[in-house]
Amino acid sequence: MAHERKCYDLPGVWGLLLPYNSDRKTDAGEQPQPPPSSRKKHKHRRRSSSSRRQLSEEYGSPTSGAPPKGDTSEQTWGAEISVYKMTLQETRLCGLLLREHFGEVVEKVGTHLLRSGAQNLRTIVQETNLSVDLVKKCLCVLVQHGACLFIAGRKGPGSPTEYRACCDRILRVLSYPRYIYTAKTLYGDTGELIIEELLQRGHMTMSSTVKTVADRLTQNMEEGHSLDYSDVSSTFSKLVETHFLQRCPPGGGAGTSGSAGPAEAPATPAAPAAAVSKALPTPESFPDCYTVPQVTLVGRGKRQLVPEDGEDQRNAKRAKMNSETHGDEGIYWQVNFERFHQHFRDQAIISAVANKLDQTSSEIVRTILRMSEVTTSPTATCTKPLSANEIFRSLPASYNIPRQILDQYLTLLVDDPMEFVGKSGESGGGMFVVNLHRALANLARATLESIVQERFGSRSARIFRLLLRKRHLEQKQVEDFAMIPAKEAKDMLYSLLSHNLVQLQEIPKTPDFAPSRTFYLYTVNQLPTARMLLQNCYKTVANLIERRLFETKENKRLLEKSQRIEAILASLQASGAEPEQLSEVEEMISAPEKQQLDVLRLHVNKLDSAENQVDETIFILESYISSTSTS
Amino acid sequence: MMADRGRGRRTLSFIVDSVAISRGDSLPPAVQQPTPVFPVSPAPLFSPDSYPQVIEQKPLPLTGGEEAEYLTALKQDFRGAMRSLPCFIQPAAVHRDVERYSDKYHLSEQMDGLTDWIIDWKRFPKELRVRIRKPSRDGAALTCLGGGQSVQMKKKKVVEKEEVLLKLETLEKKEEQESSEEEGEGKNKQKEEEAEAEEEYDEEEFEEETDYIMSYFDNGEDFEGDSDDNMDEAIY
Repeated sequence: MAHERKCYDLPGVWGLLLPYNSDRKTDAGEQPQPPPSSRKKHKHRRRSSSSRRQLSEEYGSPTSGAPPKGDTSEQTWGAEISVYKMTLQETRLCGLLLREHFGEVVEKVGTHLLRSGAQNLRTIVQETNLSVDLVKKCLCVLVQHGACLFIAGRKGPGSPTEYRACCDRILRVLSYPRYIYTAKTLYGDTGELIIEELLQRGHMTMSSTVKTVADRLTQNMEEGHSLDYSDVSSTFSKLVETHFLQRCPPGGGAGTSGSAGPAEAPATPAAPAAAVSKALPTPESFPDCYTVPQVTLVGRGKRQLVPEDGEDQRNAKRAKMNSETHGDEGIYWQVNFERFHQHFRDQAIISAVANKLDQTSSEIVRTILRMSEVTTSPTATCTKPLSANEIFRSLPASYNIPRQILDQYLTLLVDDPMEFVGKSGESGGGMFVVNLHRALANLARATLESIVQERFGSRSARIFRLLLRKRHLEQKQVEDFAMIPAKEAKDMLYSLLSHNLVQLQEIPKTPDFAPSRTFYLYTVNQLPTARMLLQNCYKTVANLIERRLFETKENKRLLEKSQRIEAILASLQASGAEPEQLSEVEEMISAPEKQQLDVLRLHVNKLDSAENQVDETIFILESYISSTSTS
Repeated sequence: MMADRGRGRRTLSFIVDSVAISRGDSLPPAVQQPTPVFPVSPAPLFSPDSYPQVIEQKPLPLTGGEEAEYLTALKQDFRGAMRSLPCFIQPAAVHRDVERYSDKYHLSEQMDGLTDWIIDWKRFPKELRVRIRKPSRDGAALTCLGGGQSVQMKKKKVVEKEEVLLKLETLEKKEEQESSEEEGEGKNKQKEEEAEAEEEYDEEEFEEETDYIMSYFDNGEDFEGDSDDNMDEAIY
């Protein structure tokens, strides 16, 4: 009897392999966009999704699979977004990040949008049971930070605007500390604060950014010193030149017709609702993306005076709101995450070379990458070829190595099995490229191997590496090549198999899959394994955040008390008090409470630090996965 | 395939040789329940304490160092800063155990933070725009970027009052059309001046239709941080 296995019995495959079948009524839940709001269909969709819950544990949201036949409305969102899959772990993590940074109300609206795809305002209000004003505010916050896009209705000019949340953008929040730190290393404190302000506010004009940053820097300076606006403006311009900042696309969302863009922005027409736009207009599709506007900004940072009375502070606030025009109204800037990712990728490659070979070779690779920064697109497989002569001339002055040594180093790099550097020709003393995609694949492979080693031991890691290299092996061959006794090899293989890191491939000799007449080969596929481990990483970060929230909630009373006491101490010190008063106030916290606070602080720091480190792994795996999708 | 099981014979679904179990070994125990959620190492069968052991492989320690600490500090600062920004939306309803009279007058406090956030409405779809109310006759400045039901009700009351006053004015005008037209204009001007004068008053006092200043409703639950040491009054 033929061995039959229905594809929808496999968990997680639901929605991926099944083509849209108009006979299959229960598939209505998997449509990419919600049906027009009629009560009956809405109920039906909910029922079908709950019954499928146990199957679709991994893939929560019904936005996968082929689009329904005859429905071209999905095209207006662009090819990249129509294949938009949301997994359970990603939704959970996005919800937690939104809660921490924007509050619980925004979390509710955001997770609802993530789960349901594109929706219009009415439906969101209905389904989240929040007031209209609150939902409007949340949507404003999400759009301001780029986490949500809006598009004029797809069903003709009269239909309401639809909103769609971007999961990727929300997950970027995890890497914010890294972006700020990178800006600090490259452009000092000014750059750090500029990036921080822009990340906090989403979009800002250049003039308001410069003013805020100058004020903040002036706060920390000594009395009588203040920072001139021109210093901050020059750092801002440098950031724009190196593409770390970019202009927001005019008009805000995708294809909003009828929104008046700012005058200085190029007159790229936003696609009218009726027409089909090929792809989402990226910020880089506008030619003025990296042009710094002419801004008249003269002045110095203002030190904020300690308000004597609540009244004065409020009046001061109102005075600030009187906006002086600086010539760049309507031009908003945002952080260019892609450029930061390029920078991180380069850093990862350079440090890998430094770890594997030595400092000089990493400097050579750094030189090659620096020279090709501007000429390489973010999705390129490798950098443009550079001749050895050019590299020799561009080496930093501190590394004056003779020409033959450079050639030897280059040969070493090319011969290295990690294949970071490749040779593409002989002219000019040899043409060399950095293989970006291959480097990312190797970095991801090293990450996977390290994960297996730490979780299962070095011998299991040996088996894993063997299978990665040799692709398909029988059990006997695994034992022989790995030089591990049969029993232990069997145990390790089975535990790896049960954790889904190793797959079993059956090759039948006869049409019935009789076990005695079938080859069973073990194999490791790098890409699916990387995807699975990426989901594990998301789950890890979500668990870390939840644990941290739990810990702070447990000790909420104690934290509030310590905050109050710190506030008292600060106000006492500012108004000049004697040490006895200060010590009296400090004694309001007892010693065991202090100990408890210390332990809490230690735990919270550990959890935060762990989040940052998991984020590094997430970055490598995500870059690898996205590089395979474009190549 | 299942129906093909040998009649009365016990055949295994896998080949003994390729799975590398010799004849003498027993098959591993059948799995009775799903694997435990938190990874535990398999406890020995005859251990006196059946408490789950800690995992065999301990994870690596976190990388410390200056950079990691700075990143952690950045992360915590960023989180704290976001809480104070207008983007951080607190739900309007504060759940209290007991409903208090002063709750009605506390809602306006939350609005202050929202006035910082100036939105460029050209970049947002029109339907998200929430209108900003101008100061009403009572001098209550309600800049609304959202808010609960009670705020809307306040606005309605204000609007209704305005309508009533307007009606009264028009009625007055109609009754005394000839001689008191000048008076009516005078009254209007007076009322406008009054309104302006009222607007100049501090909004704190005229938030709501009360006779008391807003800090009257402060029930002292927010810890104020005043030290009691320097009070000159006697304490009873």
